[in-house]
Amino acid sequence: MNGFGGYIKNIVETVSTIFEGLAITLSHLVRRPMTIQYPDRIPKPVQETLPLRYRGILEVDLDICTGCLACERVCPISCITIGIDMNKETKQRTFGHFDIDICKCMYCGLCAEACPTGSIRHSQEFEGASYSPAGLVRHFVTRPVALYKPKKGGETDPTMVEKVKIGQEYLDEFATPEGGAGAGEG
Amino acid sequence: MSEAVYPQSEVFHTEDMTISVGPQHPSTHGVLRFVVRTDGEVIGEAIPDVGYLHRSIEKIGEKCTYHGYVPYTDRADYLAAMFANQGFCMAAEKLAATEVTRRGEFCRVIACELNRIASHLISVGTFGQDIGAITPFLHALRERETINDLMEEICGARLTYNYIRIGGVGYDITQETCDKILTFLDHFDPIVDEYNRLLSYNKIYIERLANVAVITKEEAFQYNLVGPNLRASGIKWDIRRDIPYSVYPELDFEVPVGHGEKGTLGDCYDRYWVRMQELQESSKIVRQCLKMMPKGPAISKVPRKFKPPAGEVYVRVEAPRGDMGYYVVSDGSEYPYRVRIRTGSFTAMGIIDKLSRGIMVADLIALIASLDVDAPEIDR
Repeated sequence: MNGFGGYIKNIVETVSTIFEGLAITLSHLVRRPMTIQYPDRIPKPVQETLPLRYRGILEVDLDICTGCLACERVCPISCITIGIDMNKETKQRTFGHFDIDICKCMYCGLCAEACPTGSIRHSQEFEGASYSPAGLVRHFVTRPVALYKPKKGGETDPTMVEKVKIGQEYLDEFATPEGGAGAGEG
Repeated sequence: MSEAVYPQSEVFHTEDMTISVGPQHPSTHGVLRFVVRTDGEVIGEAIPDVGYLHRSIEKIGEKCTYHGYVPYTDRADYLAAMFANQGFCMAAEKLAATEVTRRGEFCRVIACELNRIASHLISVGTFGQDIGAITPFLHALRERETINDLMEEICGARLTYNYIRIGGVGYDITQETCDKILTFLDHFDPIVDEYNRLLSYNKIYIERLANVAVITKEEAFQYNLVGPNLRASGIKWDIRRDIPYSVYPELDFEVPVGHGEKGTLGDCYDRYWVRMQELQESSKIVRQCLKMMPKGPAISKVPRKFKPPAGEVYVRVEAPRGDMGYYVVSDGSEYPYRVRIRTGSFTAMGIIDKLSRGIMVADLIALIASLDVDAPEIDR
């Protein structure tokens, strides 16, 4: 590439490739936009469009929690703290506190997999803004709750059946056909 | 240097200027700083100053169980978390001689190659942005968004996946998701041509990159470059092909190398072009895996208390930024005795000072972008 011919050729190439790029940009006028107007002007909330596997903020259904502490033990950053009180007279065990520090949580999903009843699970919720770090600690024990004991041959209490079913469905979503981490205790 | 160029005089004298590029410079892709000594526009030296993003991930490894450390490895390189997962899990499996199920291996490769496409899209997109073209970046992120949505369906997270576990993968890829991946790939292959027309063949873009910051074959070896940066210098070296792991030996794929496409072998454009070709190769690999994927369990039986016997291993995987190595020492307890991560970005920092001498300040930005360094991977 030399001389006047090369100079002209350079200019022609530059201009033509620029216009090629502009043509692609222009074609986006008629394409469907990828962006959405968040949080208004969307047909339904984003939370409802997320897949069931989505790992959002943790939620706990204390009614079906057996208090086995598997989630507390498996958590790599110890953001779950569980206290269980024992009533000395009636020998009944109830939850003292069940707190999850959303600030610390790294949404790895190890606790939800370790849970035997699907009581602790990731919700589709992701909007967790708060004015202070203390506001991000979720306290799940608001009233005294007794530990759940799974009944042999399935749940019979009609108020609990639905809850057990939701937990089991959540577990099934992640279940692998055979095997799985923790399948062989050792 | 200044004395050689300009004669000293009593009234006017020149002196070198020391400026700081970063830590909050948009082209450094994270918190990374360069102390640059310049003579006008010409760079005398550029010293990388790393350590702004150090999170002591290696030390944390000594306090976590093997299962519990996997989510931490995500943070080693958040643009390609899948490879960090895979590297550590392969090391743990090698220590304990755990078998990975065949379906698990295919799930791993599919997730990894999708992740490679996402990572390279960020790389070529930000490359254009650093040079001054903002539109290609938005186009690249558009496709990456779809991959993030797919990842959300596969493993539930968009960036820090924690998908690959010791013994296989966390969750199976459903048939529904497989169909969605295939639909995406059918959409993606023509899009690569569109990127090429938009950015790669643009004359201004070529002029900015061709013949800039040339790395010769010998230099690439001496400075221990890995991954696309090494291949761009004409060396055909890919861990997936040369030290095969997982199911890569059964798959048919090319290893793209630089040929001096628009200028000299090993210039910035070659490094860019190798990545563009790898996008298509990864798409090819995913298609093959979707076809070959057998039925069966996605993870083998691994005890919850994972206690590998005492020993030490070193495994390497081909991450988007090159050879990623995990050195894990076990003393027979539940916790690793030592975890060491070797990453491609860190070694790429070494060559920046050598290449930057004598080039323009604007070319330094092109050089950093072409090496595709990623701040979290440098510091860990």
